[in-house]
Amino acid sequence: MKKTILISVALSTLLLHATENSDLEKRVDSLEKVLNKQKQEKLKKALGGGNSFNQKSFIPDISLILSGSAVARNIDNNQYEGYGIDGFVERTDEIPFNKNRGFNLNYAEFGMHSVVGPYFDADAIFHLSPNEFEIEEAYITSKKLPVNLQLKAGSFKSGFGRINAIHQHAQHFTEQPLVYEAMLGVEGIKDAGVSLNWVAPTDTYLMVGSEALQGANELSFGKSSSNNLYVGYLKTGFDVGESTSMLAGVSVASGKTQNNRDSRLYGGELTLKHTIDSYSSLAWQSEYLYRDREDVKQAGYYTQLIYDKDSNWEFGLRYDALNKNSINQPDDLKKYAGIVQYKPFEFTKLRLQVDHDQSKSFGGIRKDENRVMLEFLVETGAHGAHAF
Amino acid sequence: MKKTLFTTLLLTSSIFATVNVATTYNYLGEVTKAIGGDLVKVNVLGNPKLDPHFITPKPSLIGKLRREDLLIINGGQLEIGWLPPLLKSANNNKINSGGSGFLDVSGAVNMMDKPANVSRAYGDVHPDGNPHFAVSIENITPVAELISMKLAQIDPDNSSQYAMNFSVFKKHIEELQSKLEPINKGCQGKKLVQYHELFNYAISDLGAQKVGDLEPLPGITPSSKHTLELIKLIKNEKITTILQDVYHEKRTAQFIADKTGARVKIVPHDVGATDSSNTLDAFYTEIATQICQ
Repeated sequence: MKKTILISVALSTLLLHATENSDLEKRVDSLEKVLNKQKQEKLKKALGGGNSFNQKSFIPDISLILSGSAVARNIDNNQYEGYGIDGFVERTDEIPFNKNRGFNLNYAEFGMHSVVGPYFDADAIFHLSPNEFEIEEAYITSKKLPVNLQLKAGSFKSGFGRINAIHQHAQHFTEQPLVYEAMLGVEGIKDAGVSLNWVAPTDTYLMVGSEALQGANELSFGKSSSNNLYVGYLKTGFDVGESTSMLAGVSVASGKTQNNRDSRLYGGELTLKHTIDSYSSLAWQSEYLYRDREDVKQAGYYTQLIYDKDSNWEFGLRYDALNKNSINQPDDLKKYAGIVQYKPFEFTKLRLQVDHDQSKSFGGIRKDENRVMLEFLVETGAHGAHAF
Repeated sequence: MKKTLFTTLLLTSSIFATVNVATTYNYLGEVTKAIGGDLVKVNVLGNPKLDPHFITPKPSLIGKLRREDLLIINGGQLEIGWLPPLLKSANNNKINSGGSGFLDVSGAVNMMDKPANVSRAYGDVHPDGNPHFAVSIENITPVAELISMKLAQIDPDNSSQYAMNFSVFKKHIEELQSKLEPINKGCQGKKLVQYHELFNYAISDLGAQKVGDLEPLPGITPSSKHTLELIKLIKNEKITTILQDVYHEKRTAQFIADKTGARVKIVPHDVGATDSSNTLDAFYTEIATQICQ
């Protein structure tokens, strides 16, 4: 084909410029030689065998996240292990992060994301702690359901509330807010089940989601002989002017306790983020949780302010409180935390966190905990971007 | 009555006929408007005054993406840090990567600076090459042609209109190019430094030469050591111009300017980045003027 075109071009030019005849012929000849050589090389390559069964292009996106810390604390390790929160947690049985005075490797996390086919994506996150291999999340997400419904199935972090689904490395403070820890434990609602959500086609962001889960969370639910936990949430967001965005939501989780009695958890959330420039912003985020578990009514909240000064520095303050407790239990459980974070590169965080915690009891005795901690967090590999 | 009904029907059908298009950046919005005219409704996601790598993934963008028939992105991994979570939340199969309503325009351009070795040890590198090709006027016509082809593909009834609009656009850009030629002459052999690898395509196409960047590596904030080296380089090479974008800090450039006598020129990286670059014509005129004069 190419040859024909070349020759016809050459021929038509020939009629016009007879004098350039021999020159053109030479050029066509040399081009032909090049094309021939390319063809020969292609055949030679084919003869040598190809990459017929090479699957390299189908390797999932793999990421590795590491978190470690150096901790100074006024409570020694023996006392710290198995601390309680009066009225909420009798005795913690696992402390995943920053457990020891001195040095801690919190975890190495492997994340994988892959396209299964035209209909589903698959995600899996494995958490490796010094004594544990844990499937943090493993689920499939639908892509082609009618009216843009999205289905998720597997084991995943629930979309309840603002912070529950966000991984530790993407949070601004090293631990979950006190109210989450007290009502749902350090891991939040992380359970096997299905979720279905839908986004409205409107300028104002409006998302409705519902989940049916096994109900494995022991602090608030925990009857897992059959699935019994149902979660629903409604989230909305819009812009206030060019540079301020709001996200608000309400959530409900309804299930059964080990005693087969009703337990309900209600959540309300509000986030306001003001963008100052590309690297600088001010974000205020608050959440209130109310629990009615076996007719015991408890509540708590947190409110935090994060200031991103530039691409390197971030400052944050958080105030945590459990302000409603069961009868004869303290309702003045509070925690204060502050962070200064330095980010030399997009995927490297060095975070100094200072806490004053008045909520914990150690061996049954309430005692204030003071802590200063330096944490490092790195994200490497093919790690997806984070949402709002 | 019949007339009203007819008019209503006509109105609804014309509403239906509009192609809803979202573009990640403003320049893509301007090109799409030029090619699509009244047949398209364009929503631009990224604010042109902000760093195109780090657009805030605002919840309000999710609702917009949910409705679109076509999403046009710059590509070359420029959107990788903010667009994927929005697309996932919007869950609109039409505009997901691989869907019929997804267009990555980087395929229309010959990308430069493709790294031989890809590692984050070299900073925040783009494995497919430098994605900031929109700053060169040479690249806008192929991008517009690709957009006109895509619009014709998803709205075949109006394909001749898109083709016609493209030929008008092409001619207009050619005219603009010849108008800019006298300005471009100032760039011949001119040596420059810039903040980020943002203006390479314009510098190269205008015949100038980039000698250094204020960032030691892409995505790494200027260090004092690197800045001092740069000052020495600027003095040695007798460089008179420092190109600064609108979104990075301007102290470093000003510091270097004070030490060397070079001038800091604010150059738009997208249509609307500066107050005087609100159209494609103004954008390319300002780039040529700021770099070459």
